[in-house]
Amino acid sequence: MTKLARFRKLKRLYIPAFVVLLAISPFVFASYVNFQIAMIAVFAVAILGLNIITGYTGQVSLAQTAFVGLGAYTVAFGVNHGWPVIVTFVAAALLPALVGFLVALPAARLRGHSFAIVSIALPIVGIPLALRFPDITGGAFGSSISWMNAPTWMHLANDDFRFYVVIIIATVFFLLAKNLMTGRFQRNFAVVREDELVAAAMGVSPYRHKVLAFTIASMYGGIAGFLYMTLVQFVSPAIFGFSLALQLLAAMIIGGRASILGSLLGGALYVLLPVLIGQVDATQTTLLYGAVLLVILLVVPGGLVRIGDLFNRFRRNPPKDQEWAAPVIDTSPSESSQAAVAPLSVPKP
Amino acid sequence: MDGRLIQLVLGGFATGSIYAALALAIVLVNRATGMINFAQGAMAVFSTYLAWVLVTSGMPPLVAIVVAVGISFPFGALVEKVLIRRFELSDLQTAVVVSIALFMFITGLIGLFWGYGTKQFPSLFPAGAVQVGGVPIGIQSIGTTIVVLAMVVALQLLFKGTKLGLALRAVADNQESSSYSGIPVKFMLLVGWGLAATLGALAGVLVAPKVYLNPIMMDQILVYALAAVVLGGVNSPLGAVVAAWSIGIIENLAGAYVSFIGDDLKIAVPLIAMFLILLVRPQGLFGHKEVVRV
Repeated sequence: MTKLARFRKLKRLYIPAFVVLLAISPFVFASYVNFQIAMIAVFAVAILGLNIITGYTGQVSLAQTAFVGLGAYTVAFGVNHGWPVIVTFVAAALLPALVGFLVALPAARLRGHSFAIVSIALPIVGIPLALRFPDITGGAFGSSISWMNAPTWMHLANDDFRFYVVIIIATVFFLLAKNLMTGRFQRNFAVVREDELVAAAMGVSPYRHKVLAFTIASMYGGIAGFLYMTLVQFVSPAIFGFSLALQLLAAMIIGGRASILGSLLGGALYVLLPVLIGQVDATQTTLLYGAVLLVILLVVPGGLVRIGDLFNRFRRNPPKDQEWAAPVIDTSPSESSQAAVAPLSVPKP
Repeated sequence: MDGRLIQLVLGGFATGSIYAALALAIVLVNRATGMINFAQGAMAVFSTYLAWVLVTSGMPPLVAIVVAVGISFPFGALVEKVLIRRFELSDLQTAVVVSIALFMFITGLIGLFWGYGTKQFPSLFPAGAVQVGGVPIGIQSIGTTIVVLAMVVALQLLFKGTKLGLALRAVADNQESSSYSGIPVKFMLLVGWGLAATLGALAGVLVAPKVYLNPIMMDQILVYALAAVVLGGVNSPLGAVVAAWSIGIIENLAGAYVSFIGDDLKIAVPLIAMFLILLVRPQGLFGHKEVVRV
């Protein structure tokens, strides 16, 4: 049996096993464990969105927690005003998407790191905005809601019901992202990331794809906010904290850039790392994130999902050193088009 | 002009000067290595803590501050040598992430060494105010502005009037050609990072008496400095300084005169201005359009 076939066979086994484990989890594990699992799902969705703009499209964004917060506050507003759950969900997804779209319009005109600079503004503005409109947001005390209770015919505890809601919605959006990121979009995003000029020469507008990626990312942030409110039922301006924005990005990079599985790992890291550190000294979270991130960047720039590369290095026939990006893009058309436009000078947008 | 307006404008100049010092540091690093150093603020805080340690060990404040600002030069160079150099050839995204990692790491180190509480930091200038046209203006504000102005002039002299400055500019312009003409490029990168760290440290010791010393005291200033860099144009030191002053003044005036904005929302004003200006001029107000030959 070849290695690949063995891997495929294994894959057929571990995915159903994973699903079964999640399905029975509320009946097997303590409620605290289930809460942590659902939390991982919540932040995995947020990090997946961040990965779409930063990992797949190459624009470092520090704004993702702002969209999680916006989604969460939208849910709080909707529940307090008696909106149906579906309407609340759509609003929590579309409002951040709209804001993200509007922000991306100027931000996507910038190249490279300028995008990161502009995105930093969003969580910074979030706190004073949330404090400024206490009627909507509950001010410094935050907004607490009680909703998403289990329908009586289900005979489920509220916690278990919420667990399933979070896991199912998170799974749906992971599958959506997986499909989106294996086709044309992934290739277009990747070429924008690798070289905007090549992208433009190929007829892939870097501007439009950056706006698109950021809008999708914001929507995922909003959905994560919805899931967060399903689980936690409370949001305060603390969600816009600057260090959280940094930590989310760090968790994503450590988990793995441009990788669906990496986003899941990132979510796990984001939720579990503070728990682990908390047992030693909670104030050292930032230090540990910084140190781990530096080590990862130095040793495995592709993140934990590509840790296997580390061992490949010591093999006799090491595979050709790849870029950190997991997806392999066919570069032949881009090279030819690069040659075709060589004599032209293209002004940066 | 009424007295309040003068006060607000001069106060804006003073806070804008601090943004300007950090913004200049960021532009300096960007010109030298092409990266945006998100850790510039954290490095500045580190230097400020050094000054604080010296002061508490009994050194006179002025001496302590000068020593700490002086030490930041080798500190910045060391960061370049040990860490940044390893990522010199990597892509932009990685460079940004590296500086963010450094940001978290240094902030964490400060927290580990000195805790997250606030500390009193001595001011370089006496408290009190002088009367300017019948309006009391804080000596601290005036002093801050003058120090930063002097620094801008000194930097200009360094870049335009000395051989070292010429070499720095050459390296910023084209590393390859510079190395062919015998300029020690790697050394110049060290100098660039050292200078930037020094500027940042100066911003740190100037702002610490106002906001009290704590590990995250520069975070908000970093955001403003970054906004100034983007607004002024990433490749324009003068633009960054002018933009930083404008941000300081606009923020003060909007907070005072537009009641909807008030004191709590004034932080948003320069950031929203940044978005609007970028829609029209993505290269910033003073930056020049980069034309790329493929």
